[in-house]
Amino acid sequence: MNLKNNKSFSQEILKIENVEEEVNRISKRLKKDITEILKRKGAVVGISGGVDSSLTLALAVKALGSENVIGIMLPEKDSSGESIAFAQKLAEKFNVQTIEENITGALKGFGCYKRRDEAVVRVFPEYNPDTYKMKIGIDKRSLNQSLPPVFTITIVNSNGTEKRKILPIKEYLQIVAASNFKQRSRMSMLYYHAEKLHYAVVGTPNKHEVEQGFFVKYGDGGADIMPIAHLYKSQVYQLAEHVGVPNEIIKRTPTTDTYSAEQTQEEFFFQLPHQEMDLIWYGMENKISPDKVGEALGKSAEYIEIAYKSLERKKRTTEYLRMQPLKY
Amino acid sequence: MEKLLQIQEKIRAFIVKASYAEDGKIDNDTLIFEQGVMDSMGFMSIIGFIEEEFSVTPSGGELTEENFESIDAISNFVQRKLQS
Repeated sequence: MNLKNNKSFSQEILKIENVEEEVNRISKRLKKDITEILKRKGAVVGISGGVDSSLTLALAVKALGSENVIGIMLPEKDSSGESIAFAQKLAEKFNVQTIEENITGALKGFGCYKRRDEAVVRVFPEYNPDTYKMKIGIDKRSLNQSLPPVFTITIVNSNGTEKRKILPIKEYLQIVAASNFKQRSRMSMLYYHAEKLHYAVVGTPNKHEVEQGFFVKYGDGGADIMPIAHLYKSQVYQLAEHVGVPNEIIKRTPTTDTYSAEQTQEEFFFQLPHQEMDLIWYGMENKISPDKVGEALGKSAEYIEIAYKSLERKKRTTEYLRMQPLKY
Repeated sequence: MEKLLQIQEKIRAFIVKASYAEDGKIDNDTLIFEQGVMDSMGFMSIIGFIEEEFSVTPSGGELTEENFESIDAISNFVQRKLQS
């Protein structure tokens, strides 16, 4: 990828100089990999109405033609209604056939909601899933330190009143394990449609999601090919604009769409606005001094050092998610 | 009330067990997070352990390096809380 490495260290450094060339490079490789290596004749993409899956779908269409791409929408009872509308709009724009598969029934069968809610009630006995919404996230107070993050749980009643507590580990693990049925059920459904048509499943994670471990192993991390896994989030936006992803999708705040209460990805996992995170990640990978990165972002070198440590820790502690089975 | 040494021993035993580290490799002043002995799950499990063992529940504002960076720091924090 051609980055503006001759520029001084700033957001500009992440700008892809020749976007058209990068779009062509990815789509050519996508076509070659799907048809010649994976030996499949089309692509299935799970579309959520977010910018990552939208760009992935657009690249798949450019690679294979809209007649060989299917967009699958996989809502469940906690999904935002907006997501389906945006995904539909995207499919119309790129003239792609869509299939909607509501996975609520499958999730009830797995006991996803029941198992999650049992753990929530142990923390907040008053929690009732019919009248409360819930979400978990990283405790912001831990951000300015070298300690690992701790998670909090928030419940929101019908008046919008929030209650938040630090999440005990047992309940945290149960809530996450139960919620992961969502991504794993989606993966199963994507493979059903892919295998039925002899297509490949095209995964949608970007560079941060893959390398920081913001995905579910064998869930949204389960795919045959991941064509945007090398792109920083700001580059995802750059390419999305170039290929014509609808503006409403580009302007949307990225959400997790996993818990019943609304939650941004920044709040749940990344902790930093994506523009800031991109530059810090780039600085860390390229061993750029915290002083220089801090100067570009208007932050102290100490702030950047703590962010470097936090990102390195995330990379290290999520290695398990990226590992293949250990074979004997 | 438990003495500092007893608190230290209980916390050390928990951390050694939870981290699968060799006992001799962790000193009371080892920076357990900085040096990768414990991670985020480890931190959450320490919070759970001191709640269960000593009935000490830290508030969000108390989750600081000063209180949690090492066995010494955690033990001193627990002792302070027990005395307050």
